[in-house]
Amino acid sequence: MLADILAPDLFASAIRMATPLALAAIGGTICERSGVVNIALEGMMLFGAFMGVIGAMFTGSAWFGVLTALVAGMSLALVHAFASVTLRTDQVVSGTAINILATGLTGFLMEVIFGHPGTTDSVARLRPVFSINGPTEGMLGTVWRWIDLVALSHTPLVYLAIILAIGGHWALFNTRWGLRLRALGEHPRAADTVGISVVRGRYSAVLTSGALAGLAGANLTLEQVGSFTEGMTNARGFIALAANIFGRWTPGGSYGASLLFGFADALQIKLQLFREVIRVPSQFFLMVPYVLTVIVLAGVVGRAVAPAAIGKPYVKG
Amino acid sequence: MAEPSVATRGQKIAHLLRELAVPVVSVMLAMGIGSVIMLVAGYDPLVAFPAMLKGAFGGGRQIGETLLRATPLMFTGLAVAYGFRAGLFNIGAEGQLFLGGLSAAWLGIVLAGLPQPFNIVMMLLAGAAIGAAWAFVPALLKAKVGAHEVITTMMFTYIGRYIVSWLVTGPLKAPGQIPQTSQLPPESTLPRMHDLFGFLAVSRVHLGFVIGVLVAMLLWWVLKYTTLGYEARAVGLNPWASETGGISVPSTTIKALCISGALAGLAGVTEVMGVHYRLHDQFSAGFGFTGIAVALLAKNNPLGVIAAAILFGALSAGAGTMQLEAFVPTKVIFIIQALIILFVAAEQLARWIIGRTRRVGVEHAS
Repeated sequence: MLADILAPDLFASAIRMATPLALAAIGGTICERSGVVNIALEGMMLFGAFMGVIGAMFTGSAWFGVLTALVAGMSLALVHAFASVTLRTDQVVSGTAINILATGLTGFLMEVIFGHPGTTDSVARLRPVFSINGPTEGMLGTVWRWIDLVALSHTPLVYLAIILAIGGHWALFNTRWGLRLRALGEHPRAADTVGISVVRGRYSAVLTSGALAGLAGANLTLEQVGSFTEGMTNARGFIALAANIFGRWTPGGSYGASLLFGFADALQIKLQLFREVIRVPSQFFLMVPYVLTVIVLAGVVGRAVAPAAIGKPYVKG
Repeated sequence: MAEPSVATRGQKIAHLLRELAVPVVSVMLAMGIGSVIMLVAGYDPLVAFPAMLKGAFGGGRQIGETLLRATPLMFTGLAVAYGFRAGLFNIGAEGQLFLGGLSAAWLGIVLAGLPQPFNIVMMLLAGAAIGAAWAFVPALLKAKVGAHEVITTMMFTYIGRYIVSWLVTGPLKAPGQIPQTSQLPPESTLPRMHDLFGFLAVSRVHLGFVIGVLVAMLLWWVLKYTTLGYEARAVGLNPWASETGGISVPSTTIKALCISGALAGLAGVTEVMGVHYRLHDQFSAGFGFTGIAVALLAKNNPLGVIAAAILFGALSAGAGTMQLEAFVPTKVIFIIQALIILFVAAEQLARWIIGRTRRVGVEHAS
């Protein structure tokens, strides 16, 4: 049975499950590094997921759907940026409002466009990037099956998340952009003094996080499921925030933590197939990612240090 | 403490009006934008809002329905408000509410045959206790390692909902096809208001509404006049100064989040005892989340929560009529809710708009 569980498809599924978390978590990292808390990742992801389906449906192109998802995430991010940077509203409260707004907007538009609540029609999905025929026989066949499933079977946004994790991580610590971003979150007054616009920097960070959360939504609807169901993000935005904290506010760490949550999710899905053997109600499997999130936060938070100016509106003076 | 002791009645009224201005303007702005959204989507707000008003306040039965829907929002609103006063954001009231409902659905059957007043008291106490217990782990993690309560209470909401889902489909499931618990015996339910007071119009509103008002008044008193409330407010305003002043921040944090959880638990109890008489896993229409809007609109004042809960209760009660007569999907009330939160939170918005218009005015003049 163990060999059935620890099969290549488990690890492939872990990478797939990690992707929406990772995209949102990296967005969260960029946003929080600039000093703005973003608990609205959940809502931006949900709205992106929905608008992705709408975009794909009206154009017939999944790629156009990805674009509308990205714009949808950014549009809610603009609200968050305006509220929290320009108006200096409490960032957590503004994020909550956006989460409720996303629930309301997607539910409302669902009924306006489809005439019923629940789930949308199915749309075209993004295809896997690679399609290579390898050996199927013998030892070589087994090795190839692992490589093919784990590394080569994925859709575009899965690879994008990995590229962003590596590239973003490097850029955060090795480029002018990264230095400026970190300065905004650690000591905005100093950044301001040397001529970095705090407002512009924070706006672009919040908008980037919205774009990434929108892409996370697109991954759910346009790569994984093919349709939208109300509330389908199921607190992934909050788990992504936890992944960002566990990853110590770095893109690479965020991806790694997302991979842990993705693996837990993939494992619980897989274990449910063995319900005849493991006699545990399915609800206990479904709980796993949420329980793990609490455990991870409990274990790591005391030692992880958040950006110093996080959550504090900046007043030029 | 905030008011000067020599304030005249006129000054007091002026102060109250200033306090009320932001919430009132926020609600109006939100409804205005809601109207624009309706227009864009092809509905007529001039039909929708009157229909909503009729559905919420059109008669005795409608007013009763508004108060019925205000009841759980009052409890969750108080829960979130009390947390906010102590600087804590209990975004997981929904989960505590589910656990409270679960305890009532179970205990109500166990206590069958005992006198109704006894059952009501016991079930309320048990629901509050389990709501507090459900908030305890996030509270402890917040106090000891600083794990953000927004994430942990949200995770506990999902964990709680899965536990309830398991119990109503498994161990506590009533015979039959539907996943729900058995119906409570009459002695384990809250009586309807018109049964208690014959002069009231027949409606579904139950004793839970009165209990909610009493709890709101109690909480107002606790915050204003007790050490418990004082410490919570002090920590909410400035944890560092409180610590220096001899208040234990961790213990105050734990107490405050558990009290918040207890209040949210009561919302689940009164819904089960007064409305459904049993538990199924869809028994809350997001009351825990709407409680956030209620608390913010009330500016975290327990007495303000009563009014804010009635407003959101009216939106909810009127939404059905609005859908019937103007065909607007009821979900529009969530959009209005979100906008109300944004406008209330962004008090700066008014100042920003005023600043803008002034600047434009100056440019025109020059």
